[in-house]
Amino acid sequence: MKTFSVSHKTVIVVDHCPYMAESSRQQIECDMLTKSRAQGVIPLAPVSKSLWTCAVECSMEYLRILYDIYPARKLDMSAHRDILACTVLQVNYIVSDSEFHILNSWRQEDQSVQELMSALAAVGPPNPREDPECCSILHGLVAAVESLCKITEYQHESRTTLMDMAERVANRGRIICLTNAKSDTHVRMLEDCVLETIQEQNKLAAGSDRLMPIQQCELVLVHIYPQGDDTLVSDRPKKEISSVLNSEVHSVRAGRHLASKLNVLVQQHFDLASTTITNIPMKEEQHANTSANYDVELLHHRDAHIEFIKSGMHSIFVFDQCIPDCVCTGDLHMAGSTSRDSGLKETVTLKWCTPRTNSVELHYCTGAFRISPVDVNSRPSSCLTNFLLNGRSVLLEQPRKSGSKVISHMLSCHGGEIFLHTLNSTRSTLEDPPSISEGCGGRVTDYRITDFGEFMRENRLTPFPDMPVDAAGRAPFERAKAQLERHTRYWPMIISQTTIFNMQAVVPLANLIVKDSMTEDDLLTCQKTVYNLVDMERKNDPLPISTVGSRGKGPKRDEQYRIMWNELETLVKTHVGTSERHQQVLECISACRSKPPEEEERKKRGRKREDKEDKTEKNGKESEEKGWAPDSERLKGAIEREKEEQSESEVIKDSPDSPEPFNKKPRLATEELLSLEKSKGPVSLLSLWTSRITQANSRKHQEFAGRINSVNNKAELYQHLKDENGMDVHENGKATR
Amino acid sequence: MPTVVLMDASLSMTRPVSLEGSEEFQRKNLAVHGLTMLFEHMATNYRLEFTALVVFSSLWELMVPFTRDYNTLQEALNNLEDYDKTCLESALQGVSNIVQQEWGSTCPCQVVLVTDGALGIGRGSLRHSLATMKQRGEDKKFPLPFPFPSKLYIMCISNAEELQATDAMDNLEQLLTLSGGEGHIFTMDGPLCLKSVQAMFGKLIDQAYTPFHAVLRCGNLASDVQVFPRPEPVLLDDEVDPVPKAVLTELEIVGFIEIGDIASPPVLSRHLVLPIAVNKEADEVGAGTTDDMEEDTSTNQMAGKSPNFCVLLHGSLKVEGMVALVQLGPDWYGMLYSQADSKKKSNLMMSLFEPGPEPLPWLGKISQLGPISDALENPYGEDDSKSPFPVQPKNKRSYAQNVTVWIKASGLQTDVQKILRNARKLPEKTQTFYKELNRLRKAALAFGFWELLKCVAELLERECTLLPDSAHPDAAFQLSHAAQQLKLASTGDSQYAAFEHNITPMLTDFSGGGGGADRM
Repeated sequence: MKTFSVSHKTVIVVDHCPYMAESSRQQIECDMLTKSRAQGVIPLAPVSKSLWTCAVECSMEYLRILYDIYPARKLDMSAHRDILACTVLQVNYIVSDSEFHILNSWRQEDQSVQELMSALAAVGPPNPREDPECCSILHGLVAAVESLCKITEYQHESRTTLMDMAERVANRGRIICLTNAKSDTHVRMLEDCVLETIQEQNKLAAGSDRLMPIQQCELVLVHIYPQGDDTLVSDRPKKEISSVLNSEVHSVRAGRHLASKLNVLVQQHFDLASTTITNIPMKEEQHANTSANYDVELLHHRDAHIEFIKSGMHSIFVFDQCIPDCVCTGDLHMAGSTSRDSGLKETVTLKWCTPRTNSVELHYCTGAFRISPVDVNSRPSSCLTNFLLNGRSVLLEQPRKSGSKVISHMLSCHGGEIFLHTLNSTRSTLEDPPSISEGCGGRVTDYRITDFGEFMRENRLTPFPDMPVDAAGRAPFERAKAQLERHTRYWPMIISQTTIFNMQAVVPLANLIVKDSMTEDDLLTCQKTVYNLVDMERKNDPLPISTVGSRGKGPKRDEQYRIMWNELETLVKTHVGTSERHQQVLECISACRSKPPEEEERKKRGRKREDKEDKTEKNGKESEEKGWAPDSERLKGAIEREKEEQSESEVIKDSPDSPEPFNKKPRLATEELLSLEKSKGPVSLLSLWTSRITQANSRKHQEFAGRINSVNNKAELYQHLKDENGMDVHENGKATR
Repeated sequence: MPTVVLMDASLSMTRPVSLEGSEEFQRKNLAVHGLTMLFEHMATNYRLEFTALVVFSSLWELMVPFTRDYNTLQEALNNLEDYDKTCLESALQGVSNIVQQEWGSTCPCQVVLVTDGALGIGRGSLRHSLATMKQRGEDKKFPLPFPFPSKLYIMCISNAEELQATDAMDNLEQLLTLSGGEGHIFTMDGPLCLKSVQAMFGKLIDQAYTPFHAVLRCGNLASDVQVFPRPEPVLLDDEVDPVPKAVLTELEIVGFIEIGDIASPPVLSRHLVLPIAVNKEADEVGAGTTDDMEEDTSTNQMAGKSPNFCVLLHGSLKVEGMVALVQLGPDWYGMLYSQADSKKKSNLMMSLFEPGPEPLPWLGKISQLGPISDALENPYGEDDSKSPFPVQPKNKRSYAQNVTVWIKASGLQTDVQKILRNARKLPEKTQTFYKELNRLRKAALAFGFWELLKCVAELLERECTLLPDSAHPDAAFQLSHAAQQLKLASTGDSQYAAFEHNITPMLTDFSGGGGGADRM
């Protein structure tokens, strides 16, 4: 596939000389209604189009189909292949009389039937009184060649993009000339003139930046003559005039014949094919409760039939039953080709298929091709197109003589454009794949599916056609990626990995903190969220902490809050660099999060203890008198546990049910424990374990110097103060409690 | 991409290979050895590939139809018999039929031809086939190129020198060109032995059967994945951009779109996205200790139990009915979605769009899709009742804009009748009357069809004379006004025949102070 094929540039040259004002002699009765109502009214004479009118309306029809199927597209370096079949095709329209009139340019905005209609109206019909000697189609043909040399926006863009490979951008084109020639000799004269002009222009173009030499040109001469006349020009198939120029001649009667000729040409020139949708149920205006079946013929890129074309060849090969009629359609009768208009046209018949499909189904679709109805204004056509334009889709099935029904196509509308989709109807090579639940991560059952769904909704895309880049120079899709990055900085995938995302109370903060910029209000909301959490903690509200994986009831309440706060801090910390306000959220959390007065202290102690533990471990083997070689892993776990339990024991220390400590080692017999000892009660497993661990740990750290030197388990603190101002020892001791 | 192994079972394959001191091998044994290696590789690393085994001599036979059961293939390979002479053309025809019957004509396929390079003699030999290719009718065409996209790998159980001594190499090269040029001819280096056949098949595996591994990313969430079948490079335009585009090994999600909005887009190909556990430590250590196997199974079990982003993504895409837009390379995109098969097994699937900045017209340019949070108001509406898609094209298509086409007489007659019908219902239908009149006027002016304007003017004048006594007085005024305007236009006078000009209703005492005109 080439982007810059002959079809990239088309110049239509229409003869505007006086003889084109001649009547086509095809009469049209306009005065239709008189038959039913009039008595004594003489019907008006029928009208007939001039050769000019025929040429113009048929060329407009050619363009209508072309622009429907290959609409003007915004400038970009996209070379689309066959699945959407949209190459960039451009048309230049020229009329020729005593001089040439170029009605549009290669520019994208000029590529529309409306623009051309307006320009044609300004030109008007040929003036029969103009001097025929000054008028010639040659002016137009010369202008056409010159126009082909002019570089299009696409060619320019491609050349600029390719830089030193600019020579890869080709310049080919086609000239369609609608004229009334005098004779075959006249036709040859026109061809020679075009060839000469190409050679001249190519020389000129070689030295210019805005011009390109023509590598290949296809000249399509259409000789139009009035009905009833004999043609003076003979048809001639494509022939090579020179290496740059091919030429073909079509001699056609004006009117209907010209229309169908140009319809055939537009199909040939732009690789189109025809599909007839059959069995379309349509309500009759008169009888609303009955419906008749109609057929509508559509044109589209021929790749929509690729499967038929190939299976046609296939049948010839496989079954070796080559019946001449079957060559194009294959033996499957799916293509149901019917030849009409004296064998010029072929169409594939597909059947309207009910029930319709719904829009939330994702079909495996191998191509989508814009369509154009052949008879755009007919009632069946407009019924079908309106039905589709309203957003509904229709599946199409291959008419088969027997066997199962095969749905091979779908008609569907996207944004005011109707597409013929090709659906895959053969066996899939991906059948019977292993289910996702059998693979990695397939056994995990508590994914945050709903949360990620919510995440996806927040990260849906929307077009920003008018905002190519933002202040930071990022295109919209880069901003979308940046947002995904921000939203996933801390995103636990499973429910049991997270606390905060299972809490409704955290939602406002979690939604705001991922934003690129926060307003003052956002900050306030975040702070409120934090205060709310503090409040919850004060009220001792339960937290949705997962108990998966941990034995028993899981961590205790204040430990839960500690986990929650930690997680919240982790989340906010990942965004702290985004802005000042993000930073403030973190500060708010740090300031508010629960740290019971003892906790800080305990943490420090814990840390020291761990340090010591490390040291002890190193000497562990030497210190045999301790007799208990610790399994370091288990010990770490135990320490963690001990920390938790220690806090637990602090919480319940005033309770009357507080257990008696199990072990009363003198070294550990603090006043606290002594006081507990007084309250009698059953010894719980917890206290047994606690004291055991405390005992184990106590062996592994150096005793506090004060305690070693203590008298009666009481150490004197701030002894130096006493020396200075003679404070009471006993009082100091109390103060420490 | 299914594979057909086309194995030469002609007598020449039984030629012994001269080896010093060891037991005697036939070329067939070497071929079987190589294929065994290929099958083993596929069974472990490429097990979703469908493979068929065809053997041929003067006839061909489908030994194993397309299957993923590599044991069956291996078994058939081990029980090969020897037949007569080589006749490649009919075998290729057979391959063409088998593939099309199974997969249709659009599914790309790989053909691995294993032969000794003795390509037959006389009628039915490859030389003869190639020589007579151009003198055949439609019904006896040479089977290459296949109707389906294909790659042809020719594995020669002989070395290059041997092939070049005859014209075998030339013929095979011609065959490869005929098939469309995609593929490769492999020959054996050095003496014909097990080692060199292994080396040759090793090259084939490297070229055609290495699994495609990538990282799927969504912001900071990521998963290692295998994409199957491996995505093939795509050639866009052989003239402007002759370098094929390949999918990157970093697949980055751009954002999400509803299934209804993406609306069954056309795709180049579909692929399974399978999460894989990459055990980097094992790769580094790789000491091959005895308990390697045990570790492997435990790694697999661990992998099943540790959360994977693909599974999360798949689950949410399925529940929400959405797709993820994923970037495959510069200006190349695809979509990820959940695909369920008939057995209720579902999977994460990736479809590749056409490379280019705007693969789907109804999404617009992908680079211009941004996060909804950037929009002033949520384009989906607060209750998800709206959608920013499809993007509307700048110009309407002909079937959406009431164009005027008079190619068939009926088209013109319908338009004239519409005017007359409305003319008889004046002044109620003043607006429609003038709307239709102006439409006709514009088209007639563009087509240079002034005669029609005169004709319609006369028709209107006559309607005016035929008005019943009960008619509203305004009707007569409007009809003669319209007729007069059309006549003026038909003179081509630039004042009245301007395309952009519209005939407006005449202001009369009856028309309510020109309200009708205002509304025009």
